[in-house]
Amino acid sequence: MNCPEEMIVYMHEYLDDDLEPENERVLREHLGKCEDCQALFHEMNKTVALIQSTANVHAPENFTASVIAKLPKEKKKISFQR
Amino acid sequence: MDALVKKRIKQIKKGDQDAFAEIVELYKDKLFQLGYRMLGNRHEAEDIAQEAFIRAYVNIDSFKQEYKFSTWLYRIATNLCIDRIRKKKPDYYLDAEVAGTEGLTLYSRISSDMPLPEKEVEMMELHETIQGEILKLPEKYRSVIVLRYIEELSLNEISEILGLPLGTVKTRIHRGREALRKQLRHV
Repeated sequence: MNCPEEMIVYMHEYLDDDLEPENERVLREHLGKCEDCQALFHEMNKTVALIQSTANVHAPENFTASVIAKLPKEKKKISFQR
Repeated sequence: MDALVKKRIKQIKKGDQDAFAEIVELYKDKLFQLGYRMLGNRHEAEDIAQEAFIRAYVNIDSFKQEYKFSTWLYRIATNLCIDRIRKKKPDYYLDAEVAGTEGLTLYSRISSDMPLPEKEVEMMELHETIQGEILKLPEKYRSVIVLRYIEELSLNEISEILGLPLGTVKTRIHRGREALRKQLRHV
């Protein structure tokens, strides 16, 4: 691979919505002719999709009630005295 | 900031616990998820999320309205997670391993009652693999990756939550993503 090093930086910036339009053009052009970088870029996108696919856990049922039960009582008292 | 949240915070400052319960409902899954991805198991995730809410309640007077409330809340929770990770560093890898088997235990438990469709089993195993790789990341990369991709926060918010310059956040996301790419490319 003899690709300009900044291509990888551009790929990361692209994924962070942080890539200058001018550099995006450069990246697109490069990806159009370089299969290695295409593969790398594909892997990066896949990685992101994989991480995001795990975002689906939920707090236990009784969560809120047990937080409220653990709140210190003093604060409530103080505010009543105001 | 969201007008409703703003109103609830005023009520909480007067000691209204019902208003606080509403806030907890609103953000509980986000904080639980943060804890789960940072620490690797449900028990610790619950623990850390609860503690974060309690701290938020106790310190609500120090919350300044000009900040986004969720940023402040995330900051409390993220700091708690990071503290805990640093404290238990010696059994770091052991923890990751335990987390990796969690899905399998779950699977064997469910499978005794009803067979899961093959696709779901594969999905579960895949998620465990990904979770395992996230947990293997050093804490400084793990935090940014979880905040960015699991919680879907902007780079600016992450920078505020972690109290780090934007440039540092970017570098860490790049490195974290690159490390995960290497581990997950053949998945």
